[in-house]
Amino acid sequence: MKVLAFAAARERAGFAELEIPVNPSDTPRAILTRIAPHMSLADLRAAVDYEYWDWDTPIGAAAELAVIPPVSGG
Amino acid sequence: METYIAFTSEPIVSPAAGSAGREIGAELEFHGIVRETEHGAAIAGLQYEAYVPMAEREIARIIAGLNTQWPCETVWFIHRIGWVPVGEPSLYIRIRSSHRQQAFHFCMALIDQLKTDAPIWKRAALPENISQPGRSPLDS
Repeated sequence: MKVLAFAAARERAGFAELEIPVNPSDTPRAILTRIAPHMSLADLRAAVDYEYWDWDTPIGAAAELAVIPPVSGG
Repeated sequence: METYIAFTSEPIVSPAAGSAGREIGAELEFHGIVRETEHGAAIAGLQYEAYVPMAEREIARIIAGLNTQWPCETVWFIHRIGWVPVGEPSLYIRIRSSHRQQAFHFCMALIDQLKTDAPIWKRAALPENISQPGRSPLDS
């Protein structure tokens, strides 16, 4: 699975993009805990295959997980 | 309803619109322009970043939802990414609808929801960090 971190989340995670092996039963929280164990998820949202996703819902067959910090478009 | 959604790293150019249908009574255009201050401090511009594939989907979802409340005929949405200097637009919206109320409500709500849900981020750069005109101080 590809894992992406954007803006402030990228700075907190220490990576912009990773390719890692995952299981369908993994949740976004479990994946982030594995690859960035000291990273706080407070005020961050998860997105799975371009849709906002609960941190504790399994990812299934998804191909991409993104870590979304508070947005500020416009 | 027709929608046009785009992200561009180039200065925004108002797209050709074609002629409006005979039931169109309102055409509303909005340009969101980078101000010279951010939270009270002078800035040189804003550096925008977007998770484009998801942002396109989120904007489409927001527009579809708003259309059930304020039906419109056509919506154009363009957001600039990368470096946007003070005075240039970072956001462009054009809405055509039968009546002005729909277009005004639609545009306000679209911007409000964009600011809470679309994965787009901006970062301010201070004037003293500018070394070359037209170049983002955040590029280095």
